[in-house]
Amino acid sequence: MIKLDPRTKLLLLLAEAVIVLGQLGGGNAEPFKTVFMALPFLLLLTVKKFRTAVIGAVLLGLGLAAGHIFTEGRGAIVLLMCSGILTRFVPSLMMGNYVMSSTGVSEFTAAMERMHVTPKITIPMAVMFRFFPTVKEECSAIGEAMKMRDIRLGGSKVMQMAEYRLVPVMTCSVKIGEELSAAALTRGLGSPVKRTNVCRIGFHAADIVMFLLCAAALGWIIWRSVT
Amino acid sequence: MTELRDVSFSYAAAPEKGCIKHIDLTVPDGQFLLLTGGSGCGKSTVIRLLNGLVPHFFEGELSGDVLIDGRSVPKMELYETAALQGTVFQNPRAQFFTVDTTGELAFGCENQGIPENEILSRIGRTVERFRISDLMDRNIFCMSGGEKQKIACASVDTLQPPLILLDEPSANLDYAATMQLRGIIKLWKAEGRTIIAAEHRLFYLWDIADRTLLIRDGAIAEDWSRADMDAMTNEKLAEYGLRSIHDTDPVTIERSCSRGEVFTVKPHKKFSFPAEIPLHEITAVVGRNGVGKTTFLRHLCRSARRSRRIFMVMQDVDHQLFTDSVLEEVLISLPEENEERAREILRSLDLEDFADRHPMSLSGGQKQRVAIACAAASGRDILLFDEPTSGLDYEHMRQTADLLRQLREQGRTVLVVTHDSELIEACCTNIIRLES
Repeated sequence: MIKLDPRTKLLLLLAEAVIVLGQLGGGNAEPFKTVFMALPFLLLLTVKKFRTAVIGAVLLGLGLAAGHIFTEGRGAIVLLMCSGILTRFVPSLMMGNYVMSSTGVSEFTAAMERMHVTPKITIPMAVMFRFFPTVKEECSAIGEAMKMRDIRLGGSKVMQMAEYRLVPVMTCSVKIGEELSAAALTRGLGSPVKRTNVCRIGFHAADIVMFLLCAAALGWIIWRSVT
Repeated sequence: MTELRDVSFSYAAAPEKGCIKHIDLTVPDGQFLLLTGGSGCGKSTVIRLLNGLVPHFFEGELSGDVLIDGRSVPKMELYETAALQGTVFQNPRAQFFTVDTTGELAFGCENQGIPENEILSRIGRTVERFRISDLMDRNIFCMSGGEKQKIACASVDTLQPPLILLDEPSANLDYAATMQLRGIIKLWKAEGRTIIAAEHRLFYLWDIADRTLLIRDGAIAEDWSRADMDAMTNEKLAEYGLRSIHDTDPVTIERSCSRGEVFTVKPHKKFSFPAEIPLHEITAVVGRNGVGKTTFLRHLCRSARRSRRIFMVMQDVDHQLFTDSVLEEVLISLPEENEERAREILRSLDLEDFADRHPMSLSGGQKQRVAIACAAASGRDILLFDEPTSGLDYEHMRQTADLLRQLREQGRTVLVVTHDSELIEACCTNIIRLES
């Protein structure tokens, strides 16, 4: 199993955002753009997130196909837009999913500390790791409740639907956020003492490969753009 | 030694609720003190004073002093207090910082800057003493409430604090998990730690506590020693508005009703659930964690979605109230919007005065009644309740029991998943045991 250092993951996330989402270098980025489109799926497979990988791959496939079906006519512009959104966003979302699901909070804080990032930034980011899955749990419970109460999409209630869903999500999130911070504070979060981290992080062969890949991609794009 | 010296406190957000008045208290080292009393009596405030959340996190008006081993908690920073005490909270969902169990056990020690090897050996010791090696390296999101609460206790244990605080730790636990929690507390007591627990489920702590304080309206109403506690009876406790000290496993209670009309449950693919539910009865559904109680409720809701007969009142009622007023909540449940009919339903549930209030501003019991009003409005006659009394004191438990009986008198069918044996004894007319 390939285990990457959290810092490498952050670099990959950045590369993904610049090359695939930001389309740096346009056509000059090939073949690295293709590599970076495929990379998140391979990484998801290494952490056994098969379902997410398959759903993502299907969406990306649809996006790629949509860009090639019609090149003329009225529908083409809409299809191209959809294709653009899917091919740009899906790989980055998948990379994000990989980083969130494969990194422990302790690993993350250790990595941030090694990069000399202040706790003022690290702690709120670390809380996100816990907060988002909690909010997701809340959302699914609320969705279940709406189905049970038979409040469905449609008719004149579209706007209200959004409100009905968001209001309880927000009140529950605020409540849980407060409880989470209270619990963390009683356990000494925010202490000026230098924190220890029990996890082991460090660079290995796989990290070096990823670094070289990012460096190569950057070098290639610059070289192609200059010449 | 832990002391409260003439402490008064009221929350800035809600001055009336949970405030305490002139409390003087000395807890010698190694004592296990139980704090009890009705909801909002101020027992949780005492816990918060000791772990420093009051006044550092929950702001308000504080006078007097709180001392742990001679050091003043209100004057200390929260991270300094963190080294002196460990707190287990009520809600197992919202007291963790990390996502994996091992990281969680290390978290408190990491914050204190304890060396890595020391932390690892402490984790090893805790895992061995608590016998939780099967819970290590797991995702906390995939655990049951009982398992989560064990991890919460374990992560307090690795810090080895001299003072351990528990704030209604059993509120979301079933009987078996509560008994395991009792085992952990006994372990701490045997090691000579000072333990202070705020709780209204008394049965699992009554015989191991050294002393009990009854808090009423923010003041110490009674101070019972071990001898006083031994002489106490359930009847006397009920007069004080307290819960039973008998530990009755809900699975052992017998109830049966004569066979009348039934609701037929569609068979489930994986579980073998009971095929029939008697109508016009209050049926308790009991069983150990993991036998599929939640799956059973979901299955019932799904299979009756088309016939629209079943309404579920969830454990966390906040999840099912969507609008900004109680009246609106009932209106959207009616097949045709009709304000008069909506007000009539509210009146039948004593909710008329709250018609214009925001549902989130109501108390837990009132929210439950709003959910029931929605069920009535949508014309459904079978009501499911998921743990309606978890975290409720004696008085509120009685109210819920009365409400369930009232629903039955109106001809409705009530199905209640619960681990509260007092509720079953108070109102249930039938019992279904789920077995794996």
